[in-house]
Amino acid sequence: MDEQAGPGVFFSNNHPGAGGAKGLGPLAEAAAAGDGAAAAGAARAQYSLPGILHFLQHEWARFEVERAQWEVERAQIAFLQGERKGQENLKKDLVRRIKMLEYALKQERAKYHKLKYGTELNQGDMKPPSYDSDEGNETEVQPQQNSQLMWKQGRQLLRQYLQEVGYTDTILDVKSKRVRALLGFSSDVTDREDDKNQDSVVNGTEAEVKETAMIGKSELTDSASVLDNFKFLESAAADFSDEDEDDDLDGREKSVIDTSTIVRKKALSDSSEDRDTKEALKEFDFLVTSEEGDNESRSAGDGTDWGKEAYWIQPEMLRPNRSKLQDMLANLRDVDELPSLQPSVGSPSRPSSSRLPEHEINRADEVEALTFPPSSGKSFIMGADEALESELGLGELAGLTVANEADSLTYDIANNKDALRKTWNPKFTLRSHFDGIRALAFHPIEPVLITASEDHTLKMWNLQKTAPAKKSTSLDVEPIYTFRAHKGPVLCVVMSSNGEQCYSGGTDGLIQGWNTTNPNIDPYDSYDPSVLRGPLLGHTDAVWGLAYSAAHQRLLSCSADGTLRVWNTTEVAPALSVFNDTQELGIPASVDLVSSDPSHMVASFSKGYTSIFNMETQQRILTLESSVDTTANSSCQINRVISHPTLPISITAHEDRHIKFYDNNTGKLIHSMVAHLEAVTSLAVDPNGLYLMSGSHDCSIRLWNLESKTCIQEFTAHRKKFEESIHDVAFHPSKCYIASAGADALAKVFV
Amino acid sequence: MVTVEGTAVLRQNRLGTKAQDFCNWPDESLRKWDSTLVVQQHIQQNVRAGCSNIDKILEPPEGQDETEHLKQFCLELNGLEVKLQSECHPDTYTQMTAREQWICLCCPAIDYNRHTFDGAQYFPGKISIKESSVAKLGSACHRIYIIFSHAYFHHWQFFDEYENVTFLCHRFTNFVLKYNLMSKDNLSAPILEEEAQNSVSRESEA
Repeated sequence: MDEQAGPGVFFSNNHPGAGGAKGLGPLAEAAAAGDGAAAAGAARAQYSLPGILHFLQHEWARFEVERAQWEVERAQIAFLQGERKGQENLKKDLVRRIKMLEYALKQERAKYHKLKYGTELNQGDMKPPSYDSDEGNETEVQPQQNSQLMWKQGRQLLRQYLQEVGYTDTILDVKSKRVRALLGFSSDVTDREDDKNQDSVVNGTEAEVKETAMIGKSELTDSASVLDNFKFLESAAADFSDEDEDDDLDGREKSVIDTSTIVRKKALSDSSEDRDTKEALKEFDFLVTSEEGDNESRSAGDGTDWGKEAYWIQPEMLRPNRSKLQDMLANLRDVDELPSLQPSVGSPSRPSSSRLPEHEINRADEVEALTFPPSSGKSFIMGADEALESELGLGELAGLTVANEADSLTYDIANNKDALRKTWNPKFTLRSHFDGIRALAFHPIEPVLITASEDHTLKMWNLQKTAPAKKSTSLDVEPIYTFRAHKGPVLCVVMSSNGEQCYSGGTDGLIQGWNTTNPNIDPYDSYDPSVLRGPLLGHTDAVWGLAYSAAHQRLLSCSADGTLRVWNTTEVAPALSVFNDTQELGIPASVDLVSSDPSHMVASFSKGYTSIFNMETQQRILTLESSVDTTANSSCQINRVISHPTLPISITAHEDRHIKFYDNNTGKLIHSMVAHLEAVTSLAVDPNGLYLMSGSHDCSIRLWNLESKTCIQEFTAHRKKFEESIHDVAFHPSKCYIASAGADALAKVFV
Repeated sequence: MVTVEGTAVLRQNRLGTKAQDFCNWPDESLRKWDSTLVVQQHIQQNVRAGCSNIDKILEPPEGQDETEHLKQFCLELNGLEVKLQSECHPDTYTQMTAREQWICLCCPAIDYNRHTFDGAQYFPGKISIKESSVAKLGSACHRIYIIFSHAYFHHWQFFDEYENVTFLCHRFTNFVLKYNLMSKDNLSAPILEEEAQNSVSRESEA
């Protein structure tokens, strides 16, 4: 009977199914128990309704149980399948590896045999092994992969070593890239180079805290063969001729292929300047002025005592090498590692006519490159930055009109606070004067600046009180005080050594003394008449130059009336002494104290002479050597003379674009260089005596390294009014500021 | 100092230039300059040529804006200010006063002057004039006019001395009226009439 079999089946099936479906068990048993009595009763009746229900429920439960079991098993199957697949792939890779090695071995054998015996070795199948169709595209890159694999392994190992010694990947890769590029990508050489790199770099990093500084040098010392390779580059290193301007051997970071490693021809003498200039002019139309600048800045004067031998490349060599270099650059860019650093590697090259697009790329990439860890990559990149800056600066000067925006392209590089290599960036614009600013002076201690202007006023500025900027790149500063007493343009200003007084001279012939106010006063405070100390009377014509002597609390002045006067600043009284020089030297244009000897002063004259005077004896001690051509026009005027803070050297800025260095003891000309495109108007030496800053009417300010007499940075700043542009530049005596005064009534401060 | 190199004239005040030779170069027409400070150069050139020639100075070159003239006024008023510095004591003139009970309560007269010149908030752009500064020009002119009138009424000796040399007030009033920077309803009326009378009387004297 079906119905009886149902419950009977139900009972007998219950037990095997109990293990898998315990939840159903009780139900089934309960149903069974509950049904037991009913089952006995139902056994007699056929097809009772509860019986059917229970049967159905039981079947359903069983079905569910089995389904769950199936799911579990299916998951297990999938897992096992996956494992199997992985194992298969592994097996395939290993097989492939074996085939690669076999092939490489065969190739090596063939090579060896060929080299040894000059004939081909018959090895049978020399085809690169083919694979299953799954791994189709591996075939052609397989041999390269082999060697590249080894390279990669080797490089990984090197990187590991270097990371252990604290050297990062970026600089390493970049260096190795450059070396490889310049040596022509040959693998043998590369392997050697890698080793050398490793050695030199490890040595360098171990030996020197300034890790990057030593790279160039250790490469020199370690590997003579590298030098040989570099020597052949002397013709190819067109790009680095510009870096020569920026080079600084005082441990300044440079790009890897340091210019110091490149042997150059000795500087030609002065007489051949013109010849060189002509050659340069022939070759490069748009770079002509920068070439001139190069040539003449390297002209060797008598007895040059530069720190290094100053060589430079003949300009003819530069042009053919540019294409070679660009090929190299293209190669560099093709290599796929570290693409972001490639352009910065390439940027020191002298850009050709594709200057502007390249510049944009470079700039974008420099921004990118700057995201690398600053400590290591920066020094390298900064070499690139700076070369790029000076490139652009010269390019702009050379080719374009003067109407530049003051904040030019060169400043878009982010602030680099690297203490070893300082790149100055514009920070403040001092906008308030109505007419051109003739002179400026920094407070010795505070971040305070005083400007003297042709609008008859002097203004004092506190650089810590900035106003919300109108332009995004530089902050505007408002003056905190205006000094009024002059009746004409104010031409010069100096501050006393403690910053509490300042003195100004103007066309009215007066030297006004002021008590400088507290830098923190409110600009709108009431007028305080005690600020004015009183004029020093005596000069009968415009006072053009002032110098303050801290040692004796004296003030020196030079005037268009032809006299130099010494004043005692503690009292308002006539001059202590007058140097009425009978005007044989001309009209004094500029005066300064000799730092190495406080009783001496040096003055420069309109006819081109510079003399040192003893203030005590009022005697002229000596006249510094100068090549004055009396028949020449007034372009021989000397615009500024300053004394080096530590060395017995005087530096003069000339109307004929030169800057000349003289020895104070002998009076001999130490060095002369063409510094600008137009008259050099102002000079300043930093308090440590390492850098020289020069400003010129060509709207540019240049920063020079005094050891190497090379230009390390250039700014384009200020617009021209009439034909005048920059009147004065200054360093802050104790803080990191430099300032420039322009005929456009602006003063700019750089940090 | 003028140097002629070829045909170019070098307009530079080299160091050592005598005061009388300052800016002593020949005039040049506006068009030949390729500088951005053309307007200021032009105005200054005209002023140097003859400061009584008011019409010529005020004659607008191309692209002129009034701010340059205002700047020049402030520049030249500086001379008057210097003279007044010793005269206009804060104790005596504790408030800035001008004619007809007009008083500025904020500060003494001398400070009012200084604030006007030193504030210079109304010269934002070097080259072009912005819309917002037009309103500021009006207030700037007003302030300068107050300064003039204070000097005129309270320090008239200095005012006369200065005016005879520079003709500054004349020029200023003409400037303001020409470019409609101030309405006549402001204090300009009294001093203008007197100015006109003075100028007539001076001309008749001369």
